[in-house]
Amino acid sequence: MVITLFVALLVGTATGLVGFWLRQNTKLSSVEVSAWLTLVAGLTLPLLSSEGFLLALICTSVSYVVMSSKQRISSFKEMIVVSVICVLVVYYGQNLLVGVGGRLGTFAALSVLLFASLKKCLKWRDGHVGCNIRG
Amino acid sequence: MPNLGNTVRIIVTSLVIIGSWLALRQAKPSWKRVVSTSCTSLGGAVVTFILSNHFQLGPVVASGLVGVLGAQVLAEERQLQLYLGAFVGMSSALRFPKFLPLILAGALGGVLFELLKEAWSGVGGRLGTLAATAVLIVLVVGGGGW
Repeated sequence: MVITLFVALLVGTATGLVGFWLRQNTKLSSVEVSAWLTLVAGLTLPLLSSEGFLLALICTSVSYVVMSSKQRISSFKEMIVVSVICVLVVYYGQNLLVGVGGRLGTFAALSVLLFASLKKCLKWRDGHVGCNIRG
Repeated sequence: MPNLGNTVRIIVTSLVIIGSWLALRQAKPSWKRVVSTSCTSLGGAVVTFILSNHFQLGPVVASGLVGVLGAQVLAEERQLQLYLGAFVGMSSALRFPKFLPLILAGALGGVLFELLKEAWSGVGGRLGTLAATAVLIVLVVGGGGW
C-alpha cells in the first residue's frame, strides 16, 4: 500500500510536470494537453501493473489540475506541490462518488483550491511576520 | 406521510429551480448560446458514455479520446464544452442504466457552464466539478441517489 502511494506520487508528479511543460512550451490548448495525458495514462498504465487503473485515475485527475491558469499555478515548484496534494486526495478519496462522472475533476479542483488557500495563508503569515519585524 | 427520499428530491429540485432562476437573472445569458453549449456538452457525454461502456474502452480512455479528437476540429471554447460533456459521460452504466438521464445531465452541464462562467476562473477541475454537480442533481432528482 505504501509502495503504491509512493509510485502514485512519482507518476502523478511526473504527469503534472510534463503537462505544465507542454502548457508552457507548446501551442496545445488546455483541453488538448489534458486529453493527451489522460489518453496516454489510460492506455499504458493499466498494462504495466495491477494497480495501473488507480494510477491512470490519478494521472487523469492531475491532468485536470494542469488545466489551471498561469495565475493559479505559476511555476514547476507550485505544480509539484499541487500534484502531490491531488495524488493524496484521489488516493484517499478513491471510494467516494464512485461511478459519478466529474469526480476526478472535483478532486482536482479541491486540490487547486486547497493549494490556493495554503498559498494565501503563507503570504498572510509572511506579511504578518514582516509587520512585526518592522514594528 | 411523504417518505424521506421524496422530500429530499423536492428540496433539491426547488433549490435547483430557485438557484437557476437567480443565476439567470444575474447572468442574463443568450438563450441561443445556452442551447448550443448544452448540445455540445450532451454530445460529448453521449459519445464518451458509449465509448466507455458499450465499446468497453473505460472512462479514462474514452474521455481522453473525445478530448483529443474534439480539440482537432473545435474552437477552444467549444473544446471546453465538449470536455465537460465527456466528464459527464465518464459516469458508470450502473448510475445511468437508461440514456435519458445521461442526456439530461449532459445538457444540464452545458447550462451550468454558461451560468457559472465567472466562477472559479482558472481553477483546474472546474469543468469536472460542474459535470459532477449536473450528474448528482439528475441522480438525486431522478431518484438514483449517490
